[in-house]
Amino acid sequence: MGGATAALDYDAELMLRVRGGDRMSFAALLDKHRSSVVHFLCRMVGNQAVAEELAQEVFLRVYRSRGSYAPTARFTTWLFRIATHTALNALRDGKHERANESLDAVSPDLPARQISDGRPSVEQSMVHRVRLEEVRRAVAALPAKQRAAVLMHKYEEMEYSHIASSLGCSESAVKSLLFRAYETLRARLAYMA
Amino acid sequence: MSRIDCGENADLLLKFVAGRLDSEAQVRLNRHLEICPACREFAGGQKTVWDSLDAWEMAPVSPDFDRRLYARIQGEVSWWNRILAPFRPPQIRKGWPIAAAAWLVLVAGIVVVDRSIMVRPAPRKTSIQVESLRPDQAQNAIEDMEMLQEINGLVGPASAASKM
Repeated sequence: MGGATAALDYDAELMLRVRGGDRMSFAALLDKHRSSVVHFLCRMVGNQAVAEELAQEVFLRVYRSRGSYAPTARFTTWLFRIATHTALNALRDGKHERANESLDAVSPDLPARQISDGRPSVEQSMVHRVRLEEVRRAVAALPAKQRAAVLMHKYEEMEYSHIASSLGCSESAVKSLLFRAYETLRARLAYMA
Repeated sequence: MSRIDCGENADLLLKFVAGRLDSEAQVRLNRHLEICPACREFAGGQKTVWDSLDAWEMAPVSPDFDRRLYARIQGEVSWWNRILAPFRPPQIRKGWPIAAAAWLVLVAGIVVVDRSIMVRPAPRKTSIQVESLRPDQAQNAIEDMEMLQEINGLVGPASAASKM
């Protein structure tokens, strides 16, 4: 908890320095949060190129907002609020569909899965890819807000209160979103047990 | 240790599977799972989801991501600079003497031009009037005199004879 608080203070402090015109602090924030924002957006829209384009918008908005930034919430909460809005807008506008790769196709961007001995058989690789595709489909089938809540809860390890702040809803609404989303995923992915 | 209520346990089970429970709560829940098939099934299903999501790896971010972002920021800054430059206080202060000098030169120029317009044509107009009127007046005057002499010549003898 102490570490989280220190990280919170450090990110907010960096952002305050950005407000003061320090570009190095912006570079430090970008370096720290670039991957998590791109990956969150990629899981949201299902396309790496579109996710990177949206992530650029997110960091551009962060830079534009530097003058009015006030550390009223955790920096990551604020950042993911921008990222979530950007993703939801893109999904609403159908922007992600322009270059969306087929869910049947295996993404060439994905790194090769390393299985125990580091030399997966063809069969193991295929099983892994099919399972991965099923996970992607299951998450993509969730309503956008449920998906955002799951991604922030699972990959960003965010507390309910922070997810609520990012999504602009109450904590109880977040719990409800998560329970419904995980229930759907449990039903869909049960065969993988 | 308090008893675990299955009906309100979903939140606790989600945290348990995510590994976000403190050790005491974890021990308590483990004991409960040994005797509760419903919670065990829920936790098992959630563990499958959790492990499946763990396997969902992402490709690394493009190496030119930062370069593209900074190019956009730079472009945006230049664009704003161009629009806001005249309204920025430091630049106004810096350019104030130049603007004031330019303003003075402009005002002085207008005054000089205005005076030359007002002053110069006046004498020209007068001289033109004088030059153009004098021959006419002289000509008219000569013609008038000639006409009077003729009239006097015609009228003069008749009136003298009638007087006689």
